[in-house]
Amino acid sequence: MNGNAWVPLLMIASSLLPGLIIFGLTDERAQLRIVLNLSGALVKFALVGWMLWGVYNGHHYEVRLALLPELELVLLADALSLLYVVLSAILWLLTTVYAVGHLDDSPHRSRFLGFFSLCITTTVGVAMSGNLITFLLFYELLTLATYPLVVHHGTDVARRAGRSYLAYTLFGGALLLLGTVWLYTVTGTLEFTPKGFLYGLGDEQRPALKMIFVMLIAGLGVKAALVPLHGWLPQAMVAPAPVSALLHAVAVVKAGAFGIVRVVYDVYGAEFAAGLGVTAPLAWLAAITIIYGSLRALFQDNLKRRLAFSTVSQVSYIVLGVAIAGPVATIGGVVHVVHQGFMKITLFFCAGNLVDTLGIHKVSEMGGVGRRMPWTMAAFTVGAFGMIGAPPLAGFITKWYLGLGALEAGQGWVIFVLTGSSMLNAAYFLPVLHAAWFGEPPDVWPKERDFGRKETMWALLLPPLITAAMALGAGLLASMPFSPLGWAKLIATREFY
Amino acid sequence: MNETATALASLLVVIWPSLLAGIMVFKAARTAVLFLAPWAALPALFLAVFVTPGIALPLPWLLLGSELGLVNHSDRLFLLFVALLWWLSGMYARVYLAHPLGRPRFFVYFLLSMTGNLGLILAQDLLSFYLFFTLMSFSSYGLVVHERSIEALRAGRIYIILMVLGEIALFAAMVLAASAAGSTGFDTVRHGLAQAATRDLILLLAFAGFGIKAGVLGLHVWLPLAHPVAPTPASAVLSGAMIKAGLLGWLRLLPLGTVALQQWGEAFMIAGLAAAFYGAGVGGTQKDPKTLLAYSSISQMGILTMAVGLGLAAPEAYPAILAVITLYALHHGLCKGALFLGVGVLGACSGVQRRWVWCTLWLPALAIAGAPLTSGMVVKGLLKAQLVNVPGPWVSAVHTLLPWTALATTLLVGRLLFLLYPAQPEDSGRLLPAGLLWPWALLVAASAVLPWWFAPHAPSLWSRAAVLGSLWPVLLGCGLTLAAVFRGVYRARQSGAMPSGAAQLPARDRMPRIPPGDVLVLVSRCIIPVFAHGRHLAGERLPQWRDAWLAALRRLWDAVDWWRSMGRIESRLTHWLSALVILVLLGLVMAVLGGNG
Repeated sequence: MNGNAWVPLLMIASSLLPGLIIFGLTDERAQLRIVLNLSGALVKFALVGWMLWGVYNGHHYEVRLALLPELELVLLADALSLLYVVLSAILWLLTTVYAVGHLDDSPHRSRFLGFFSLCITTTVGVAMSGNLITFLLFYELLTLATYPLVVHHGTDVARRAGRSYLAYTLFGGALLLLGTVWLYTVTGTLEFTPKGFLYGLGDEQRPALKMIFVMLIAGLGVKAALVPLHGWLPQAMVAPAPVSALLHAVAVVKAGAFGIVRVVYDVYGAEFAAGLGVTAPLAWLAAITIIYGSLRALFQDNLKRRLAFSTVSQVSYIVLGVAIAGPVATIGGVVHVVHQGFMKITLFFCAGNLVDTLGIHKVSEMGGVGRRMPWTMAAFTVGAFGMIGAPPLAGFITKWYLGLGALEAGQGWVIFVLTGSSMLNAAYFLPVLHAAWFGEPPDVWPKERDFGRKETMWALLLPPLITAAMALGAGLLASMPFSPLGWAKLIATREFY
Repeated sequence: MNETATALASLLVVIWPSLLAGIMVFKAARTAVLFLAPWAALPALFLAVFVTPGIALPLPWLLLGSELGLVNHSDRLFLLFVALLWWLSGMYARVYLAHPLGRPRFFVYFLLSMTGNLGLILAQDLLSFYLFFTLMSFSSYGLVVHERSIEALRAGRIYIILMVLGEIALFAAMVLAASAAGSTGFDTVRHGLAQAATRDLILLLAFAGFGIKAGVLGLHVWLPLAHPVAPTPASAVLSGAMIKAGLLGWLRLLPLGTVALQQWGEAFMIAGLAAAFYGAGVGGTQKDPKTLLAYSSISQMGILTMAVGLGLAAPEAYPAILAVITLYALHHGLCKGALFLGVGVLGACSGVQRRWVWCTLWLPALAIAGAPLTSGMVVKGLLKAQLVNVPGPWVSAVHTLLPWTALATTLLVGRLLFLLYPAQPEDSGRLLPAGLLWPWALLVAASAVLPWWFAPHAPSLWSRAAVLGSLWPVLLGCGLTLAAVFRGVYRARQSGAMPSGAAQLPARDRMPRIPPGDVLVLVSRCIIPVFAHGRHLAGERLPQWRDAWLAALRRLWDAVDWWRSMGRIESRLTHWLSALVILVLLGLVMAVLGGNG
């Protein structure tokens, strides 16, 4: 094992170890917990920087451990996995800071932060998996690590949401397992390979491959919240704010979408999948999800629920970009992994701030909140306009590339989906913004906490401001080297040329 | 001046106002920012006055690679009058907004809209243009709803709905155009568009998308609602400067001067002429001077739309037509700004001062009508000279109709002056603040001087026929207006009512009443039920259907007694005969599979 092999293992360990130690701590050891968590997050952050620099200079990071006969646990860092790893490392650091502020005085903090660390550990595992079996392993572990977070509050609603979450994801996991096993019997390998590893197979395997594709996508589609498998997501928003933020931006939903990216590009290969005729139905499914999610979001008064349906819609941009199966659309889809993460985590942080500071849960209570919490709402505004797809924010870059890519692939109908989604996004975000900035504040807020001259705690305010700045920067400076767009272009080049 | 300095100045044009808007967040800095806010237009003004066109500042790091620049004389004039309007309206707004609490809020939106408006003039590629256009559209919502009255909120709602629709049409147009041209630079796009297979679709989307901003007939409904409810200085920039962004969008994106598009040219001309008459006609029925001015903007933008149509139909004459369009835009922007600010000035003074202000308002009013010796006569004369480029069947029609638009406009401004007439010269002792007076006076002066300054030297403008041609619509219009006024006074005397002031003149009420927003009222009567139905469908029926479907599945599941049937199967299996059957069947299956292998 050479030196580079240690890096992926350290990536896993940097959050696994603090998590395990935290489980053993009593709730009162807040200082130690913060130190452990933050140092883990910072170590991971540094490691990601190290790997990014290394991959840019042509180094290769890979570790193989024997798992089963002929099957290995493979962790590696290629362009695509780095995209996801960087996103999770950055957002984990910020969410940790946020969680410290958020969990100030609630019970079971050690349990919460322990599972929180496990959750990010498995997410990094999902990101760095080098073959389908490793992916499957971490994907299932992710389900188990997030369940305690969803039911953290222990209320009836939370338990019901947790049950629903488990039912959906275990079912999805079973399908994924079945598909993976079947695929292994057909091909004898599960290693992720750019342009896929199926093109050598004969025509008689095509029906089987189609069936396997359906099973894999259905299994992954549960977490990616593709309609009609999205039912668990809006319920799961009962989880504490940092969990929702991470769940919607990085961990669970993104793991599903990332899996679909992997299956289409590195298992089937975009061109092979298109030839198989499976990408067109996937594109339609993504389009339906985009529109349906937005339609449902229109009518939610609960802010987090509205955001949850918005996630259903937005994550399918990634799937849509992948399913169009052209180089330019790939850029749009892959870059949205990062863009959606920045924007949605901002929105959830802000929604959490409203709850923690003023006790506001509903859109109808948000009148004039912009005057009370201008910085939070400024960040929220950036996120919302990004979702609508207004320039110069990250969401616009995504939509631009999806539109160009669809036209390049001769699928003009996608423009209707994009514009329709923009319109619906405007229809459910602009009233929120109107209420916040132009509405009249009430005499008393539902449950206000006083922070003196500040609008809220620094730990709650800084993370959304930073992520909003990143959502802005990812769009405004999209042409800079090392921007998410630049990286997505690199990935598309490797897949198509 | 060296190139780097001018390039940086063009960057400052957009950075300075947006920076000021950002600093407004800090309470401690607000006084200073409020003082500086109007001056944020100064870099743009500097650029327009002192820099010769032909500068370009590539910004490869911005979005997908952008470019700002001031390419030609036309851009320079656009920048000049837009910057001038923003500057003077800003100075005016500082005094006009009496309530100190609302002032920082107003200026945040004001500065952001200014950034967008100035930036889009400099933008030389699709994406940065779209960026500034969007910034302007969304930020000016804050100007429209500033008063927070019910009318303002309603106008704001309609404004934002149409803006979102416009943004979306433009997004589609730009993606299609960029895909067809393979680039986002305006020069390449214009040429690529001429040959593109999707050309007609792109043109349609651009016509509608920019047309919403420019107040094209049918898409104009937001304009007479939103322009008047905004605070007066905001109305001035909305109607004078921001409305021109739609026009500029057309000039940038449409394949003008590259290929003759006969049918599109005709479509623009018809839409434009129709708007010119419609705006003047409906505007004439309005009671609120600011609403009337908004309708006048629709009418004047109609004439500009027609001019764009000319350019589409006659590419070889486009350079000359562009010069006319630019000058017309400058003339209308300054005059309309002066009129809007004038309405506000008139409201703030009394007595003799009021008389003077009213008389001064004649200047921009007559200019808009195109009276002899005004800038209006120049631009209309120049436009008429371009009509020779109109293809066959339209020559006579447009030739005949153009003077009648002047007549319609004269009637419109006649009614405006009538509405504003200071009937009772009582002196309430209110003195006009100097901060309101001088920006307005400067704008009136600019509207009288600048169009002349930049007008090309054309002796044909001074021929007897030209002067007479511009004279008769105005004279006729004045005559008709006076007749209407006197008839009103006469009727009032007859019926015994005391004509003790313009407020009681019955002529005001004898006009047919068309609500501001005209067709919107009819359209919304149809749309609102449809929308309500859709809302009901998506908000209630959709979940209901889903629940019903799930319930049906559950019933199906519950209908089967799984435990009993499983028990029954189990007991059957215990029988030796079924075991035998199963074994035989399994053997058969294996044999078939093995045989295949």
